[in-house]
Amino acid sequence: MTYTTADIAALVEPKRLHRNIYLDPGIFDLEMQHIWGGAWIYVGHASQVPNPGDYVTLNYGKMPVVMVRDRQHQVHVLHNRCGHKGAKLVDKPCGSVNAFRCCYHGWTYRLDGKLAGVPNLGGYDGTGFDKSDPQYNMQALISASHRGFVFATLNPDPPELRTWMGGAGDVLDNLCDRAPEGEVEAAGGVLRYEHECNWKLFLENLNDTMHPMVTHQSVVDSALDYIKTLPEDSSRRDEAEIIVPFGASYENFEASGITGFKYGHHYDGGKTSIHADYSVDPNYEKAMLDAYGPQRTREILTFNTHNTLYYPSLTIKSAIQNIRVVRPVAVDKTIIETWSFRLKGAPDSLLQRTLLYSRLINANGSMVGPDDLTAYFRIQQGLQSTGSDWVEMHRNYGHDEDQGDRLTNVGTSDLDIRTQYAAWQHYMLRGAA
Amino acid sequence: MTSIVTSNEQIRDIEQLLYTEASFLDKADLDSWMNLYTEDGTYWMPVKPDQQDPINHISLFYDDRVMMEVRRRNMKHPRAPSKDYPVRSSHIISNIRVTDQNDAEGTCRVASNFHCLMYYNDRQTAFGGTYTHDLKRVDGDYLIHHKRVDLINCDAVHNTIIIYL
Repeated sequence: MTYTTADIAALVEPKRLHRNIYLDPGIFDLEMQHIWGGAWIYVGHASQVPNPGDYVTLNYGKMPVVMVRDRQHQVHVLHNRCGHKGAKLVDKPCGSVNAFRCCYHGWTYRLDGKLAGVPNLGGYDGTGFDKSDPQYNMQALISASHRGFVFATLNPDPPELRTWMGGAGDVLDNLCDRAPEGEVEAAGGVLRYEHECNWKLFLENLNDTMHPMVTHQSVVDSALDYIKTLPEDSSRRDEAEIIVPFGASYENFEASGITGFKYGHHYDGGKTSIHADYSVDPNYEKAMLDAYGPQRTREILTFNTHNTLYYPSLTIKSAIQNIRVVRPVAVDKTIIETWSFRLKGAPDSLLQRTLLYSRLINANGSMVGPDDLTAYFRIQQGLQSTGSDWVEMHRNYGHDEDQGDRLTNVGTSDLDIRTQYAAWQHYMLRGAA
Repeated sequence: MTSIVTSNEQIRDIEQLLYTEASFLDKADLDSWMNLYTEDGTYWMPVKPDQQDPINHISLFYDDRVMMEVRRRNMKHPRAPSKDYPVRSSHIISNIRVTDQNDAEGTCRVASNFHCLMYYNDRQTAFGGTYTHDLKRVDGDYLIHHKRVDLINCDAVHNTIIIYL
């Protein structure tokens, strides 16, 4: 169906959401245009392209793009399309080139996307074709980066990136500050996980702290049941530190709090989170103390959040140094990428814990992510029901506290979902107007 | 990789172990499956072709005994949502060859090819690739010390992989 502004506005009410936002391919197309075309979308980390000519390819919405570093070390995000007949110019996940060269007619492009060469150019004499006309370049998306995290947007007049992140940007800063050298780099590869659900169901789960004790009861029970069989003096295992907190109580999650920001960003935790009780490698502690001194080290390591969302594409865990990136494919299909980061100046044990976490919690073969996905999948199926058109989000409604630049509420509230849908309306209604 | 010609009896022992392991996985019987592994046994499914390192690089699976113990309990837990669906597999293993052997240690390395059809949550998926089994004789019988599963599409986008392959 065709949606008017009023139709779109009617899909989101303060305490409930119409099921069509998860089901209708027409809504999905509008979201791709207005939300995924309007917001800053995470592309990749600059450390993935360390040298001139290094590139990575990805789909930006449905469009193939390439992130590349040019000879002046500038990182560009370019449409991965030849200016001639439209062929993708590079088709590997990553690589290194001196120039982009089309496999079809050999048109070549500089690393900043400018058309450099057209074979047998004489055939264009007097035809009106002008090789220097910028329309034949690889077109650039507007891009910006914060501490190496590269974003791009199709919005011709975007807010400044760090301003757009608002107070939620403190978590990304915290992730980088946890490196003794104040910088991180992508390391240890990527997992790509197909989710047969609408992209918003993944986002709604990030700060949903009413589900872990239900959805993840089995893995917590299994870990505790095994731990019971061990002698009492057994050394504490990283796996236990990571899995067991998923069974934390409602009170525990309630106390962690949720904080929401403009443009749909939010995080849970701050003073504490389910990551707060991890043991600290003494070599890491020493490196941090040497770099920052005791007071700043304490500030950095006690700012303890669980999941942070930069709506709609990037979710990060600063205490764990992994991120999950949302790549919508269709109204009922989404790819979730899990990337891990090395804290520069930290011992290898930190990256190893990050990768252990990604494997235990987020991997396709883990015992946590698949249970979450089962819940999203069942929502995607259950919402086909005409028994009700509405999904509710009442928890602690009316108690979101306005702190100026942010809203706060208890950790078990639906503040996170209300925050997301305020942004959903902002982008969708602005786009439709 | 060259293969080593071994006695009929030894190759039979090895085949029987691989087929027994496959049949436990076919039935999703992880309690019996785990008993085929040494106490320090590990199971690895890399996410990259020729991946060298399970610790400093992400993998689809990398389990030691502790995680096997948790996983076999989780597989039967009545409240694991992703385990609400039957998991049925059919493994076919072939091209079995011994690629390394140390008689003094009682160890050998076995390469094989596998196809696995898996039915799970209303979908049938075909997995295929190579196995590398590091075996060790314990009290005369072979046990699995390490198993590496290289999917031919290890670096593709995968849905949930609900059980070891």
